[in-house]
Amino acid sequence: MEGRIELDGLRKTFHVTRWQRLRRTVGEVVAVDGVSAQIPAGQSVAFIGPNGAGKSTTIKMLTGILHPSSGTARVSGLTPWHERRKLAYQIGAVFGQRSQLWYHLPPRDTFELLARVYSLDRERYRRTRDVLVERFGLGPFLDMPVRKLSLGQRMRAEIAASLLHEPRVVFLDEPTIGLDVVARHELRDLIQEWNREQGVTVLLTSHDAGDIEGVAKRVIVINHGRVVLDDSVSSMRRRYLGTKLLKVRFHERPAPIELDGVSLVKAAEYALKLEVDTRTVPIMRVVTRVLEAGPVADIAIEDPPLDEVIAHIYSQTARERDMLVQAR
Amino acid sequence: MNALAKYVYVGRTAVRSNMAYLGEVAARVFFLTVILYIFLQLWLVTYAETGADRLGGLTLAQMLWYLVITEAITLSAPAVALEIDSDVRTGAIAVQLVRPLSYPLYRLWATLGERAVRFILNALVGSALALLMVGPIALSPQGLGLFLLALPLAFVLDFMAYLAIGLCAFWLENTSGLVLIYSRMTMIFGGVLLPIELYPDSVQWLLVNLPFASIAYAPARMFVDPNAFELVKVLARQGVGIAIFAAIAAAIYAAALRRIHAHGG
Amino acid sequence: MTRLLDYLRLVWSYVRLNFAAQLEYRGAFVSQVVAMFINDLAWVAFWVLFFTRFPVLRDWNVSDVITIWAIATAGFGVAHAIYGNAGMIASLIAQGQIDVWMLYPRAVLPHLLLGRMSATALGDVLFGFAVYIVAVQPDLAHFALFTALVGSTAVLFVGFGVMAGSIGFYLGNATTLAQQWQFAMVTFSTYPATLFQGAVKVVLFTAVPALFINHYPVEALRSLSLSDAALAFLGSLGVLAAGVAVFHHGLRRYESGNLLVMRE
Repeated sequence: MEGRIELDGLRKTFHVTRWQRLRRTVGEVVAVDGVSAQIPAGQSVAFIGPNGAGKSTTIKMLTGILHPSSGTARVSGLTPWHERRKLAYQIGAVFGQRSQLWYHLPPRDTFELLARVYSLDRERYRRTRDVLVERFGLGPFLDMPVRKLSLGQRMRAEIAASLLHEPRVVFLDEPTIGLDVVARHELRDLIQEWNREQGVTVLLTSHDAGDIEGVAKRVIVINHGRVVLDDSVSSMRRRYLGTKLLKVRFHERPAPIELDGVSLVKAAEYALKLEVDTRTVPIMRVVTRVLEAGPVADIAIEDPPLDEVIAHIYSQTARERDMLVQAR
Repeated sequence: MNALAKYVYVGRTAVRSNMAYLGEVAARVFFLTVILYIFLQLWLVTYAETGADRLGGLTLAQMLWYLVITEAITLSAPAVALEIDSDVRTGAIAVQLVRPLSYPLYRLWATLGERAVRFILNALVGSALALLMVGPIALSPQGLGLFLLALPLAFVLDFMAYLAIGLCAFWLENTSGLVLIYSRMTMIFGGVLLPIELYPDSVQWLLVNLPFASIAYAPARMFVDPNAFELVKVLARQGVGIAIFAAIAAAIYAAALRRIHAHGG
Repeated sequence: MTRLLDYLRLVWSYVRLNFAAQLEYRGAFVSQVVAMFINDLAWVAFWVLFFTRFPVLRDWNVSDVITIWAIATAGFGVAHAIYGNAGMIASLIAQGQIDVWMLYPRAVLPHLLLGRMSATALGDVLFGFAVYIVAVQPDLAHFALFTALVGSTAVLFVGFGVMAGSIGFYLGNATTLAQQWQFAMVTFSTYPATLFQGAVKVVLFTAVPALFINHYPVEALRSLSLSDAALAFLGSLGVLAAGVAVFHHGLRRYESGNLLVMRE
């Protein structure tokens, strides 16, 4: 029960009053159009969609900030917009744009304040804090003013802050934005560890494919207020596009490879990059053909970059989307 | 974006920025209305209680117009101290070190232009309110001319003070405190709310001759009671005030230069 | 009772933290405190000059006006030192910052008000008490009543700030409007009530409840009148209640997302 997220037919329509030169127009904007999902406790889910797709509106409903127009949702067994304060003990949130940490003071001070805000038992708070400090490597800068920290350090402290009250569900919005490669990986690893070891449900919104792959097991894609895709990350990639990238380097110029479902992406000196439509031709057949084409120095089979997959999903037509949803 | 969409966008932006400006105008109107209304009540009661026709040589109407002018002047002060402060901090001012006079002069011209516009706006709003509240006062073209002659040096004088304050950014973390102190000193010593004639007799002569009085009190007095002979005295005092504040600013500038050369900016 | 204690502990944590944050920039902090002190001093100086020339105004003297200033500044200062966000509600709404406070297991208003401490407000508090003690030289009874009235005024300013800022729930970007309204309140409350009559006086009871600062408290202190003091307290509580009510009504609108302008 704790940490489970259930959405059923969540709908949100905004009534927008626009003033244009003393003329009032009242319009309806459907931001969320029937979103349903069942997220078991401890799962890490990437919740993605283009801007204006209804992501933040859905999150606001799940955190109790917004009341839906219709539909139900339960987070940790609680209805967010009715039991906001009770729910607040169960959820943690890190929003990339807003900082929970006090800018001019050390993270330690913010932690103390949060302990007070959440009315945490002193002993328990200290233990949790110490574990977080150790795990997230905050020791060296726990007493340094936040304004002096690097972005990576700050984000680690932010996430730690959101975990102080031992929430069962954590909402992370663009947690790695602006971070360098190393810091990104560090942060993703930390989140993933915490998710695995503590069984905390993670709901991540991000535009970064690396975040999705690095942290989430499941992805829910939202567009135009509807769920467009709800699948595991790997099968989304595999099944959805059904292509693989095959990169091969030969010792000498290879014989031409022509096969239905195989297209040449790039060719250099003795190297080839092929795109294989695995719906048309099984990958093993392509590999066999490649090995026949010449002495192979190196060969690799990869999934296409997630960015492409996502871009593809966003731009798909309504027909494809409906077909896909039905196919599930 | 096609051409039409672009024009619509430009048009909308223009309207939006004008609306913001309108908001600022509305805020200014509201502010002046509150101040002038309150002081009107204050003077009504005061004149009634003392049974006097003139106080400090001014009638009730003149008293309110006096306030309109002093407020128009003080409210027209642009944030030039802040601009100079940030020039110091960003180092933009260091670029000008090669030709030391060009920076202050450049700032002065920019300030005067902005100040003139803001003063006119404030004066128009204040005048409208004063006409509503107490009606017009006697003002001849010559009188108006004398008044207008008293303004430019008042603005230059005020600028010199802000220049000196802004330059203190070389030493201070924050100069806005100095700005506030200066503006309050001008308010009290410069007779913004109360003509200096109504101050205790013992301090009147001193205050009239301090630079502060030449900024708001002197031009406002010239407005309600124009006098060519007085104007000459006002101009002289303004000149002296400018010299004093300019000297202070120059001293600060010189000290700042020494500091820059010692520390390399 | 434990909830009240818990809340008071929360207040204390915020005050401590806010103060510590201010001290990080000691120079700027001190200069702001001093600047406001000097600002207030300048206005009292004006009144001293005025009353030197016109000793009595409709049975008011300089001591009465100084008392108004002392109560207003000290009350305003206490209000915005502890509840520094009281003056920021309209801009918090406009920037979507209310959401942030809704994620905590606390009632929104009493919590979000604590999020900030105004440095200049501390200058006001210092000034208010200093000028009352030095210029009016009260005896113990008067000083005790004065302190109680400062508390009442603080409550009034918090309630009023909340009321004015809450128009942001109904009007989208209401930051300037709320500021003007608050400016009117602060300004009117520093002038003797005897200056105003008729329709304006009605306004000063209601939309701009300055009479509960420039009239009843001063009357209470002039004659140690508990009935005037009681009226002052009642007025403050009334304004607080109104502010809280408007805020919660506005918050319900906010939660249903029916703001005039859709934010994203």
